Amino acid sequence: MSAEEKALVDRCRTGDDDSWRELIDRFGQKVYSVAYHFTLNREDAEELSQEIFLKTFENLHRYDGSFPLVAWLLSLARNLCIDRYRRKKREKSFRFVSDDAVLPLLKSDDDPAAEALKKERTKLLFWALAEIPEDLAEILVLRDLDGLAYDEIGKALDLPDGTVKSRLFRARAEVARRIRERHERRGASGAFQTVALAAAGVL
Amino acid sequence: MSCRELERLFLDGATPEEARRHASDCATCRSLGADVDAAQGMVAGLVGPSLPASLRNALYEIPRNNVSCEGAERLLPVAMENELSDEEQRRLSNHLSRCAACSEAAATLAAARDLSEPVAPPWLAARLTANRPVREKSFWRLLSTPKAAIALAYAAAVVVMLLGFNPADIARRVSASQLGSNTRAAVNVAESSLTDRIGAIQERVARTVQVWKGRAGGYGRAAFSNAVALIFKSSGSKQRPPERPRNRDGRGAFREKETTITTWRA
Repeated sequence: MSAEEKALVDRCRTGDDDSWRELIDRFGQKVYSVAYHFTLNREDAEELSQEIFLKTFENLHRYDGSFPLVAWLLSLARNLCIDRYRRKKREKSFRFVSDDAVLPLLKSDDDPAAEALKKERTKLLFWALAEIPEDLAEILVLRDLDGLAYDEIGKALDLPDGTVKSRLFRARAEVARRIRERHERRGASGAFQTVALAAAGVL
Repeated sequence: MSCRELERLFLDGATPEEARRHASDCATCRSLGADVDAAQGMVAGLVGPSLPASLRNALYEIPRNNVSCEGAERLLPVAMENELSDEEQRRLSNHLSRCAACSEAAATLAAARDLSEPVAPPWLAARLTANRPVREKSFWRLLSTPKAAIALAYAAAVVVMLLGFNPADIARRVSASQLGSNTRAAVNVAESSLTDRIGAIQERVARTVQVWKGRAGGYGRAAFSNAVALIFKSSGSKQRPPERPRNRDGRGAFREKETTITTWRA
């Protein structure tokens, strides 16, 4: 896989337009998703995606094919994403997540009540992600929201697979604990359990 | 009380059944497992935001508006010669505005042109001249210099004169009809110049001979008188000047009659 991706990158380096378009078609969606999850804003995500691919284009000669291309793209993008993420956290954008910000992440549902529940749950998720440490949050985003494999995350973040899994476990537990504590503080402990159990497919 | 068994099972890649079996006996892990499952469930229903078409097109255009660091390396030397096309210049400028490393490289190259010329120290020219390696000239190259040509012409004229001929006559005997007008004019100029120079040389030689003749006479007379003086001198007795009186310490003393010291008395 990496050899084929290396060949694609080499063709891009020679200025082959079709190869560059192929690279965008294959990885554009993934990179945009990651950028969106770190910013929760369409304009910022577009700007960040352009920046990531521009950086990719400028550094194509550095890719040696030793690990998956998507992991390499994300390793280039990581600092940019984390910078945006910190800025968003400072701006409290994750504390007050708007409906518009989560709408692109939801499947349309015929049942308005179910859709409203999903929307609230997603807003709660991003609030909780902003509450936990960055190194845990980024792993949960890359694994659970963007669907990257453990080894891809490990290569992108330069971490062993065991550390990735350990952080992912702790991230999930931390997110759930924050949400539970919040509901308990508000005296609505039953509500979260309902949401959580519904999400887990128990109900 | 905390139990890390559930996390250990997860890291080891245990099946959900194994995790559930442990959680059924451990209250801490049961609560933790419920939290983890709930968080995972919250994420499960989400989809990725779709890539906007405008962004996709903008991403396609990246190579048309930018160059990579590799590309900048190729373009920078051409840019130094101002030979980039407008499009290449725009792409390079876009890259330099973003890339600190390439921008530094470009600025350094440009700065090399702005350096002022160092002023040579005053002694440098003399030192270089003194240290210049001697270049051996070939014989034919030496002959081709103007000075050598003139010297050869004079030597030929002297040889002709020694053979008993007048060089000017020989030049005159050359058939005028065989020569072109320019050559004839040149021969005329050379003939008159040669005649003048030969006359001047003859006059200088005659004057030099007179001078040396006079000097030879003077030296001869001087030598004769010196010889006579030596002969007469060697026949007379040698007289040494009288010894000067000395004190006990060996230093010279005034003679009584030589000097009179006047003393002043009140």
